This record gives sequence, C-alpha cells and structure tokens, in this order.
Amino acid sequence: MLKPTADRERIIELLEHEGGVTEASVRKVAAQTGVPEADIWGTGKFYTLINTPGTRVRVCDGLTCQMFGADELARQITESGKEVERVSCLGQCDLAVATLSEDMELVTYTKKETNISPASDDLAINLAGEVDLGYSALAKARLMGADAVIEQLKISGLQGRGGAGFPAHFKWTSLINQAETERYVVCNADEAEPGTFKDRETMLRQPHKMLEGLAIAAALIGTREIYIYIRGEYVNEVAALEVAIDEAKGQLEDFNVTIVRGHGAYICGEETALLESLEGKRGMPRLKPPFPTESGFRSKPTLIHNVETIACVPSIVHHGGQWFHDLGRTEAGSKLYCISGHVNQPGVYELPLGVTLDELVEQAGGYVGTPLAFSPGGASSGFLPISQRTLPLDYKSLAAAGSMMGSAGIVVLNDTVDMARAADWQLKFFERESCGQCAPCRIGTQFIRRQNEKYIQLGDPATFEHTEDVAWEMEEGSICGLGMIAAKPLTSAREHFPEHFKTR
Amino acid sequence: MSDSFSIKLNGQTVDAFTGETVFQVAARTEVEIPSLCHDDRLAPAGACRVCLVEVAGQRRLQPGCAWVVTPDMEIITESDRIAKHRKVLYNLYMADHELDDAGLPIETGNGNQLRELCKTVPAMNLEPVIAPRSGRPRDDNPYIQFDPELCILCARCTRYCDEVEAVNAITLSNRGGETTIETAGQRSLIDTTCELCGGCIDTCPTGALIEKKAPVNLVQLGGTEAVRSTCNFCGVGCQLDLHVQNDKLVKVTSPEPGETLNDGNLCVKGRFAYDFVHHPDRITQPLIRGEDGLLHRATWEEAIKATADGLMKVRDKHGPDSLGFVSSSRCTGEENYLMQKLSRAAFGTNNVHQCAAT
Repeated sequence: MLKPTADRERIIELLEHEGGVTEASVRKVAAQTGVPEADIWGTGKFYTLINTPGTRVRVCDGLTCQMFGADELARQITESGKEVERVSCLGQCDLAVATLSEDMELVTYTKKETNISPASDDLAINLAGEVDLGYSALAKARLMGADAVIEQLKISGLQGRGGAGFPAHFKWTSLINQAETERYVVCNADEAEPGTFKDRETMLRQPHKMLEGLAIAAALIGTREIYIYIRGEYVNEVAALEVAIDEAKGQLEDFNVTIVRGHGAYICGEETALLESLEGKRGMPRLKPPFPTESGFRSKPTLIHNVETIACVPSIVHHGGQWFHDLGRTEAGSKLYCISGHVNQPGVYELPLGVTLDELVEQAGGYVGTPLAFSPGGASSGFLPISQRTLPLDYKSLAAAGSMMGSAGIVVLNDTVDMARAADWQLKFFERESCGQCAPCRIGTQFIRRQNEKYIQLGDPATFEHTEDVAWEMEEGSICGLGMIAAKPLTSAREHFPEHFKTR
Repeated sequence: MSDSFSIKLNGQTVDAFTGETVFQVAARTEVEIPSLCHDDRLAPAGACRVCLVEVAGQRRLQPGCAWVVTPDMEIITESDRIAKHRKVLYNLYMADHELDDAGLPIETGNGNQLRELCKTVPAMNLEPVIAPRSGRPRDDNPYIQFDPELCILCARCTRYCDEVEAVNAITLSNRGGETTIETAGQRSLIDTTCELCGGCIDTCPTGALIEKKAPVNLVQLGGTEAVRSTCNFCGVGCQLDLHVQNDKLVKVTSPEPGETLNDGNLCVKGRFAYDFVHHPDRITQPLIRGEDGLLHRATWEEAIKATADGLMKVRDKHGPDSLGFVSSSRCTGEENYLMQKLSRAAFGTNNVHQCAAT
C-alpha cells in the first residue's frame, strides 16, 4: 500500500539514473520517493533496459534482422570481445541488421537511409512534405469546437493506426461525456511490433503533425496534460521530439507536454500496460472494462492514440473528414505502410488504405528473389502465403483472411526462408515479451515455442500434437492481445505452408 | 442501499445488486465457479483465468471474479467452451508445475487447490516447460518457506502483503516465464519490511508457501484436528485454529476470512509463537524459592499462601499504594478483570496495569 506522499511515477526513471536495478539503487530510490523497496525492485526487474546493470551491445533479433544475419553479426561482435545482449525488434527493420551500441546509439551496417514516399498534398502524414509550424489546424479546431471536430473525425473514418483499428471518434466522444473533469491525453509512441517503424519516421520527419494532433485533442477534451510514452530504444526520436516541442513552445503554451521513455517492454504498447508503466508499475495489462476513456492514467479519463492516428488529425481538421476519407481505397484514409525483408527498397510508404502487396512492393523497388510469404501487420498478424498478394491490405480484408492489419509492418519472405525457422523467430519474441501475468500466455508462449523448436531439431511433426489446443486456449484465455495472438506465427505458418512442417 | 435487479445465471433468474461481481452473485446460489487467484480480502486480479465465464454479448470469456453484472445480463458458467478452456488451462498449469507419480501437481502440508482442479479434467500430458524461476534458497527466516516450482504466480501473496498488511515486503519480479516472487535484492524476509505474519502462506492456493516449522507431509499423515482457541498474546482476541496431530500442536492458522474478527489474519506471534506449548522449560507446576535461594516444587495452596503472605506483609508495612499489579497480555479478559479486582478490592490500590494496554 502506497503512502499518499509516495512518488511512484518517478521510480523507473530514477532507477535508470542510478544505472539499473541493484540492491543499493533500489534502496536509494526508495528513500527518494517513499515507495517500498520491493515494489521498486519488482518494477525495475520488469524492464530489460534497466533490469541488469552494466553496458552491452544490443543486437536486434526481430524477423527482418534475423533474415539478414543477426545471429552471425552477434557472433562477430562477441568475438571482438564485447558483451552482446539479443533484444527484441529495435524498429529498424528497413536498415537491418540493427544494433544499439554500448552508449545506446543506433548502429546499422548496410543501410543508413530510409525510403519514403515523395511529397504530395494528397497524403495525411506526408513524411517528405514541408514541416508546418503554423499550428493553424489547432486554431481552426478551437473555433470549430469539440462537436464539429468529432463530426469530421466520424466522416473521415479514421481508425486507430496502432493495430486495433477502432474508430477514433468513439474515444473522443466517450471522453467528452465523462463526468470527471481531470482528464489526460496520452500518445502511444511505444512502437515495438516487429516489422514496424512508421511512428519512428513520423516523429523524425513530421513531429509537429503529431504534436498538433495532441494539442487539438487536449484542447477539445479540456485538459492541459499531454503525455508521450516513447520506447526507450528510440533515442534519436526522443531527441527529435524534444527539439520539436521547443520549436513549438509558443503554440503549445497552453499545454504541459511530458515525454516519458519506456525501458524495454513490448507489452507497454498495449494501452493499459502503457498506463501502468506511466504510473511507475510493472507493465502488466489491466482488465477491461473499465476502458481508459473512463478510467485511465491515474484512474482518470484518458484519450490514448497511436502516433500515426493522432498525426492524421491536423490534416482532417484542415481539409475536412471527407477529404481524408477519400484518400483511401477500400477503407478510409491514406496509410503508412512499413515494408522490409526481401524487397529492394524497404521503407515507409504512405498509400491509399487498401493497396495490395504487389502495389506496395512496386513502390519498394520490387521483390528480391521469389517471394514465398509475407507478414502483413507485424509479428501479431502471423504469415500469409504470397498467393494473397492481391488482397487489399486493409482492416477488414486481412481479418477475413485470418490475419490482421495490425501496425502495417509488412515483412516479405522469399523462398530461401524456412517457415518453421521464421515462426521460431517470432515465437521467441512473444515468449520473451509476455508479461507473465496470466497462465495461458506465460506458459503457452513457452510451450508453443519449445514444440516448434523440437520440430526443427527432430523433424517430427508429432511435436505439434497439442499446439492447436494450446493456441486455442491462449486466444480464449489470455488477458490481453499479446497472449491472444502469440501462437499465430506457428498456426498460420502451419496452415499456409504445410510442406515446411512435414517429417524431415 | 444499492439497487437490486435480476440477471440470468445458467438460465436461472437470480437477484443481484448494483456493483456486484459474478462471484458475489453466484455465492448466494448453488453455482460454483472455480478460482485460484481470488481472495475476498483482495481486489480481483483476474490473473489465474480459472474463473472465466461466458457473458452474453461478449466475444471473449470474462473473469467471474472481476466482471460486474448489470440488469438482465446472462452468464453461463458451464459449457463445452468453458470445459475445453479449463481442460487446456489446467494442463498448461501442470506443464509448469512439479508433478507427483500420479501426474498431478504435488501437494505440501497445506494442500494444493490446483491439484484438486486438475483431477476434474482429462490429462493431456503436455511436455513440461522449463521456466527458470528463482526462489530464495538462502532465506534464513525461521517461519516462511517459498518454493517457486509450486508457484502459479497468482500474486495473492504479494497482493495480500500490499493490500491487507500494507507491508510490501514481496513483489512479482522479472517477466514472462522467469516471473517469480522476490524481495528487494533477494534478501531474506528477515532483512525486509516483512513482519513474518505468514498471511502469504494462508492465502497461497497451491502450497508454494508453507510454514517452515510444520511437517511438510501433514496432508499425507492424515491431516490434523483443528481446535478453535483465542490467541492470548494480546487483547485483540484473534481466533486461532490449533492444528493438533498425535496430541502435539503442529501448526496454527486463522479461521476462514469473514468468520471471526481477525478476518483470516494473524500476526507473527499468533501464527508462529507456539513453541512454548511443548517446550521442556515450560513451568507446569508452582515453585517457591526457599531459604536456600533455590526453587522448590509446591502445591497451589502453598504457592498462593506464600504469595498472599508476602503481599500482605508489604501492605502492612508500607501501605496499599506500595503495591503494584501488572498482568500479562496472555491472560484472558476474565483473568485480567480478576486481577484488577484483587488489586482494588483486596489490597486497596489502583496501581494495576496490563501489559497490552500500552
């Protein structure tokens, strides 16, 4: 039980300042904040960037980096005498293989530059477009008032770009209707879904679209408080945001914008786990209901949006909902698609929502080799066969195909890849990133990964005897979305590529 | 007074009140919903997933411990879907648990509720997972033993330590398959804020936490006879269940939460300080110090007379207020009453005190 004077929200940052979790650092932070030592210890041990003191080279083992030889690179770095830690996707799939140096600087080996779509007025985010410091959409939104802006959001058909695809205007309406007037706006910049790096580019190239979107949201729901939760591995992006906030301090004078860095936990991209983390706790998802719009940060009504979602808002206010809606093809809006893997020019391309894989890859310079499979929306979406190359990449079509749009982190795999191995890379990710709170996910991710590993070692498909039942239970019984889809890399790979899972 | 309305529980219409959970409604009916992580003294966690039920209109199964009912809600607690869920879930728990020769989760002196649940489903014999969970092998506290291999991470112990005792000595630590229960710095409980109340043992559903002093195979030995008594360490009056085996007190627990005023809780003295009962140094008959300076066995009549003579001698020589009476907090209320009576009525002084009063 926390003393009323305890300052729990600071403990993670203070632990980092002390160099990570040790008995001494925990004692010191307890004295500084009044939080019990055990709570600080347990919280610090949750986050991989602070749970083990000391420095080391972090080598990404996300799907794309693995395809491009991350294991070999890790071996070479180890041989050069440096300590190496294998870490979950660093969000640099287009620059694979990616590492973070001992000083937490991004180091890539083959590619340095990201490909993006050319500037165009018919793009909501328009990564290559001119940076607009006028914040005129904020002024316009204030004149329009909340109801009119929400109406435009409704017409725009904007769906949550973080993965869920939930219509954005519902959250705004729910916030406005809360009796509680202490409210928060939170931006989810904890981009960590393997294959995804669109928020990274948005923050680097168009940070003011995101900040203006947040300001519009805060002004209309009636709060000064804006929190941006950004993954700790995004060092350059944190710096870019700090510069942008400084550049716009005049326009943002009515708001308190606070950047909170994550400390190495994919699950904190789940909105309620993110809130727990903001409150200085272990990033374990909450039971829903209540939803954050009703009881979120500090148990107060909270509007949480992904970077891309909120960055669409200024354009919608500017041009109207219909304009945004018409940018899409099968569904509303333009969309940032991340593409990496076996394509010539991996990058972030903003295209009408509902383009096909073939169209996307055409933008990305064509396929490398003979394409076999693709993962359409991050690790959570599993794999689809290349025969689905003409499927519209939108929320409805991908769901109907048994996959999901997710974060639109598309990875293309050609026929040099063994799908059992590809599944193994993704399963390891979920096993490592499971928060451990509920048994279906905690035990299921271990079980599924191990059975697939045994198949790779022994070549005997009998190892899969119970994996379908366990995957079923993970989907039915887990608390949050991570557990629900954590078996997907295996179940989808076995469904679509049975020839990769025969006796061998 | 909260509003009442009706809901459908397995097709039966039952009364419910605003704000109640499925568990609270079901508790007034014959419907039993299994659970491992729930304790009425704690906020619902919904973490063990054992209590998932079907709620009409909800795509996903929902935890009965936390799901708040609303008018006309339809809840199903038994179905093919729930049966399959329980079967695979319990089997997953077994893949992460130490099993006995019968293939069931092993039980310690405090039983294992998971074992009982596992008996209700067909065995899938899932290959075990290797979860490298740390314990505290060097924890030299004298009372509380933790075995991470028997832990299901329901966090009842840590939540109890936080929400009921406000001590926060233990915490969930690490992540994923490595998640375990730790103290800050993996220290012995003695070196933390822990008050050794043992409430964590009491709330643990699987026997991963046990009393170090109790025989580990209490259940296998045929269990114990529980004798209800009142703790005599202080004036609160906590009720105790003294577990007796072969005329020997082997363990002390509290009656179930909600049953007595201590609501399932005890302190370190009540739960663990029972060594005196069978201690060889315990004085079992009156002793009087003789002229030789040594203690000699005496009868009660002799002892009481010697005491009375001594006290009256002092009173006659120095007056009643030269005497003071202090009784032990281990005396009952009645005994304490008699002590003040003795002090005031028999000797005529108000100098009377009881050590638990300070």
